[in-house]
Amino acid sequence: MRGRATFGVAIALAFSLALAYAVRYAAVEGSELLFDSATWILWLAPFAGMAAAAATKRRDPVVEGDRVLRHDDAAILEHWTHGIGTAVLLVSGIALGVWFVPALVGSGEPVWMWMNVHFVAAALFLFGTFYYCANTVLALKRLREHLPTRDAVDFTKRHYGLLLGFKKFSFPPERKYFESEKVAYLLALSATALIVITGLFKVAAHVFDLPEGLMGAMTLTHDVATVAMLFFLLAHVFFAAVLPASWPMFRSMFTGYVSLDHARHEHAGWLAELGFQETGSHEKSAEK
Amino acid sequence: MGDIEKTVAGEATEGGLSRRQFITGVGGLGVGAVIGGLFVNGFALADDVLAIPASGGYLLIDQKKCAGCQSCMLACSLVHYGRENTALSRIQVTQNPFGKFPDDMVLDQCRQCPYPSCVDACPTGAMHADPETGARMVDEGKCVGCERCVNACPFTPSRVQWNHEDKHAQKCDLCLESPYWSRDGGPDGTRACEAVCPMKAITFTKEIPIQSDAGYEVNLRNSHWGHLGYPTDNAGRVVSTGSTGSAASASH
Repeated sequence: MRGRATFGVAIALAFSLALAYAVRYAAVEGSELLFDSATWILWLAPFAGMAAAAATKRRDPVVEGDRVLRHDDAAILEHWTHGIGTAVLLVSGIALGVWFVPALVGSGEPVWMWMNVHFVAAALFLFGTFYYCANTVLALKRLREHLPTRDAVDFTKRHYGLLLGFKKFSFPPERKYFESEKVAYLLALSATALIVITGLFKVAAHVFDLPEGLMGAMTLTHDVATVAMLFFLLAHVFFAAVLPASWPMFRSMFTGYVSLDHARHEHAGWLAELGFQETGSHEKSAEK
Repeated sequence: MGDIEKTVAGEATEGGLSRRQFITGVGGLGVGAVIGGLFVNGFALADDVLAIPASGGYLLIDQKKCAGCQSCMLACSLVHYGRENTALSRIQVTQNPFGKFPDDMVLDQCRQCPYPSCVDACPTGAMHADPETGARMVDEGKCVGCERCVNACPFTPSRVQWNHEDKHAQKCDLCLESPYWSRDGGPDGTRACEAVCPMKAITFTKEIPIQSDAGYEVNLRNSHWGHLGYPTDNAGRVVSTGSTGSAASASH
């Protein structure tokens, strides 16, 4: 736990310093955009994410006494690098103008500053996204557990019906992720894929002479995917961090663990998959 | 564990390359290629040289003849965007209500600089010289909105503007791409601002004018102008003998 906290603080500090440098660099007379002077970092980030995933040893969820390991260190790293990267990308992207919304910042230095901030966030986002993708390729079960099942409609109706106060519903035996989260995951997956592909084309335009029509299509797609991602992020933050019922889960994104009681109530299907039985005996999941 | 695999992640292959080996290879090769490319680019390749052909022509404006009607601005916006909006015009009339003639009116046009700072500043090649006509213009789809070109223009106000509606840089292209106009633009065609100016204060030349901070000074005031009692020479005298200049005798 201490090691994870130290590592997390180190990454947060590095990201903050990079942002500070990006802001300062924009004010330097004659300086180029980081998208031009340091383009290589954006090419490096995806491969660095893949290399880091290859070197990562994962732990599977397991019941440990009165708590359950829900997220291992790698899951926490990929969640926060992707999530913080996305949030800063959205803020800086919206400041620079997205789709039909005009830019919120004036010409000159403010534009360059936000573009440099966008650059730093893009590097973190690319690292986190490719780290996640490579980890998923290494263990496809992690993709499967995110995909909706045939229970999606029934579980979601019961889950949120109960949350809204309809007594006739009972809490469904949700698996590791709520069925509603799995549907939202598809939106996030699609938006992320589009943002990464179109974003890399926009980066490539700083190096190669790409056709105007292609770049126009890439920019429009990038903007539309950004709006989709914005909707997802707002909903995600509300349901996964603001709503009091989600706080135990939110905490687990730092500690890695949820209490057994919480899992028993909200993720009965997941506990069953982990082999947990109410007698107290349970099978440990296969260690990776 | 239900749907949880019992095998070590990435090792579940039947001989050959495992997924982990594949990811390790791609990640490692990618990191190596990017860092290697960085060194090659930094030490082995020469810096790019900016070579830009001269523009096929230049707009010339007689500031003393401009009446400030803004017809040129409306025409510019109309032929390029299909609507009359002075905020979308690439030629700019600036009026000073406290100024006295001839400092009460300034008409600023892009000078199609022989060494265009806007083209040099563009990181994506969106701002470029048209290969056929040499006109400095913007590929709007390639513009990433950094506005380096707006700030790179050495003149005030910048001859490159930020189009707030469509979010791309814009500048005078000598009407080369004017989709809402029935005539052909460009150096070999007609320019909308020049065509609509009721004062004939705008003209066009294919010879490179001499650059100065004050702009391209040109005297387009002929004897008819003098007949109205307006000064026809730069000293403010009325010369009605027809000896005054034209575009061909532009003084720089």
